[in-house]
Amino acid sequence: MGNLFKNAKRFLIKIGNVIKNIFWNIRRILNNYKRKISNFLDKKRLNPAGKFPGWAKALLYLSPALIVLAIFTFWPIINSFALVVYENYNMSNNTITGYTLFGNFIRVLTDESFIVPASHTASSAVINTLIIVFISVPISIFLALAISVALNSIKPLKSFFQTIYFLPYVTNTIAIGLVFAYMFKTDGGLVNEFLSFFGIQTDGLSWVESNAVYWRSMFVLIFYSIWASLAFKIMVFLTSIQGIDKQYYQAAAIDATPKGRIFSKITVPLISPMIFYITVTSVIGAFKIYNAIVALFGVTGAPPGVSYNLQSIVMYIYQFIDGSNAGNLSVAAAGSLILFAIILVLTIVQMQVSKKRVHY
Amino acid sequence: MDKKLFEKSKKIEKITFIFDILAIIAYIALFLILFNLLELPPVVDGRMNLDILQFMTPTYEFLGSTLDKWQMNSIISIIIIFMVVNIPMLAVNMKRNSTKTIYEINSYSAASKFVQAVINLLSFNIVSAVLRTYNTFITIKFVKGYNVKEFFKSIIPAIKNTIAKRKAKRAQVIEDNADDYSSSLKKNIRRQTTIHTFRLLGTYLFLVLMALIIIIPFYWMVLTSLKDFTGATTNNPEFYIGISRWNWINYKVVLTELNFGLYIKNTVIVAVFSTVGTIITTILAAYAFARIEFKGRELLFSILIMTMMIPGELYIITNFITVSKNGLGWVGMPTGQNQYFLAMIIPFVTSISYIFFLRQNFKQIPESLYKAARVDGCSDFKYLTRVMVPIASPTIFTITILNVFSSWNAYIWPRIITGVGGQEGQNYWLISNALRDTAFVQEGGKVMYNLQIAASALVTVPLLIVFFAFRKYIMNGIGRSGTKG
Repeated sequence: MGNLFKNAKRFLIKIGNVIKNIFWNIRRILNNYKRKISNFLDKKRLNPAGKFPGWAKALLYLSPALIVLAIFTFWPIINSFALVVYENYNMSNNTITGYTLFGNFIRVLTDESFIVPASHTASSAVINTLIIVFISVPISIFLALAISVALNSIKPLKSFFQTIYFLPYVTNTIAIGLVFAYMFKTDGGLVNEFLSFFGIQTDGLSWVESNAVYWRSMFVLIFYSIWASLAFKIMVFLTSIQGIDKQYYQAAAIDATPKGRIFSKITVPLISPMIFYITVTSVIGAFKIYNAIVALFGVTGAPPGVSYNLQSIVMYIYQFIDGSNAGNLSVAAAGSLILFAIILVLTIVQMQVSKKRVHY
Repeated sequence: MDKKLFEKSKKIEKITFIFDILAIIAYIALFLILFNLLELPPVVDGRMNLDILQFMTPTYEFLGSTLDKWQMNSIISIIIIFMVVNIPMLAVNMKRNSTKTIYEINSYSAASKFVQAVINLLSFNIVSAVLRTYNTFITIKFVKGYNVKEFFKSIIPAIKNTIAKRKAKRAQVIEDNADDYSSSLKKNIRRQTTIHTFRLLGTYLFLVLMALIIIIPFYWMVLTSLKDFTGATTNNPEFYIGISRWNWINYKVVLTELNFGLYIKNTVIVAVFSTVGTIITTILAAYAFARIEFKGRELLFSILIMTMMIPGELYIITNFITVSKNGLGWVGMPTGQNQYFLAMIIPFVTSISYIFFLRQNFKQIPESLYKAARVDGCSDFKYLTRVMVPIASPTIFTITILNVFSSWNAYIWPRIITGVGGQEGQNYWLISNALRDTAFVQEGGKVMYNLQIAASALVTVPLLIVFFAFRKYIMNGIGRSGTKG
């Protein structure tokens, strides 16, 4: 019995060896051919890999990313410039009636709700966006700076607070926006309850529902956008403050420098490149605000039953995207190119200034 | 120092883990069984009658005893509290055991074991509690050399000792309050300490206030999601409700009747495939940009970087044309011929910012490693998978999480894609669309706020769990990359 078992084992090992040998032979033969072919190509100076060293290999590695990028990043850029010059592009049958150079841009710029406030209201997409940008960005940067300096000055509970402040970064904008809208409800909303606790008359004080005044709705929107954007800024500021050389602070401590002056003469100048970077990126981010408005006020961008509108530029663009009317997509493309121009200017300003380095 | 005691303590710790895991499995199973038992309102005219949801008083038969609605709510709430406490505890313990090569045994670990034993006891995990307590005493014996009896005897003298020490210190301070100069110096120091204390107090007050503003929406969300309709819409909202009134049925209604189970499934499919695609394409591309030398590499890379400046809104319009009828034909076709998942996944299987981020990381890996691998006959691909990827794995992991987050939060592209599909497109909604576009309105214009907020909580909680599990990776990744994912 034992003998049989031993024989079987030996037999299996033999088979395994045969299979292994076959594979090795195949590999050897293939390698041989590979060498022969490359020798031949080298002799005739035909080897593409020899002519463009690295290209063949690089293409192999780059192709998955490049194919996707070509279809969904490079082609759209070209396509949107094409779209902008079409007149009455109809998506359902893919036809146009002619070409126009600036027609679509003019249509956007003179539209009632883009720059010029609509006749029956006092708001337009650009005005709304500018208000959001110029109020929410400075406030959020000051708050983030204050919080990160305060966080840097404490030891116990530091990582606990850091974790809490980071929470808004990992949440769904729409979900928390719905919660905010619920908190600012007229009847039984948390905010109204809180205000009436201080003796403020809150009966019928509407924030995001019907009959809300423009500035009240705008306040909720700005409050929410600051709440949502604080996390990232605090994180970046804290990292850069922690990177400051401790010697500056020690020197200041020896001279008994007041805390306020340490903040304004050491901390802020030394992280000024970061502050500037954050300012530019958050201005760009605020220009593209969309999800927060949708979450708070729905896809129309207005509380029910009011005459104004809280549309942002991006929201203005997206309202044309369903393509139901001929020419709508061209208008959307023109709008997004205008947005691109604004962002491009901001980015160039950032590059120019950061070349000179904002320091001291 | 008794080596036997050390080995024993280590062994008991491992056995305790097994019982911890068993207890957690039991909690989860019990929760699932009870959650399944919860009775939904009857369906009238093809629609669930949500008006009577809060007035139903069903009774449940469970393990031979009859439970009413309130008892059922309490039991589920308690089980969930147990899970919330015990799962992180196990995770932290496991992590500590797997990362540290040395088994820690000191008076601190004895105290932590004792606290954990009390928590185990409170969550009806008696075996673990007993084992942990036993282990605590072993640890004390090992560290201090006390027996159980001696330990209890030593508690009172130890406390007395500390008090006596403190008294002696105070007496000393009063004693050398003699000469003039030192007393003025002391006054100065005291003043400075007061200022310092007030400043510290102010700092903490500010931080706590801001933390409250951050945390209150989350608290209000969880609280409202457990209220009934009257509780969520009343004019005098409650700031706290007892566990017997936590309506877990809200979540069941959201998952089944309002179809959020399907939407979560869709989102997970999209997130998984687009993340896998992103990881593969970005690793390959970043490797090519970091290591392979070819003509025009810098030019190609700078072109890619430049496109990062272009706002996503520009792409969305034309990409919509690309995937629709006149282009690839993934959406906007007659019902049944649409490929919604393809349209939602393929445009997002690569990302220039991640390629940039990963390339920076790959570039930091020394070139000499590559040369050494080449000398040993390692091919490029093998070098990438065996050397580069393991070294850069923290970065890759951060990218994975950020990408999952961004697909979990995607709103506008899925909305456009599914919006053209009408009724059919609704089956492919992702959660953000569903949150915004599901009608939480009953007949008569009543908005079911408790269900809406429960859906929001259902979307937010998984993100928070992932965040707390991988906090270090995510926060480090954001700090280093400096860009929003």
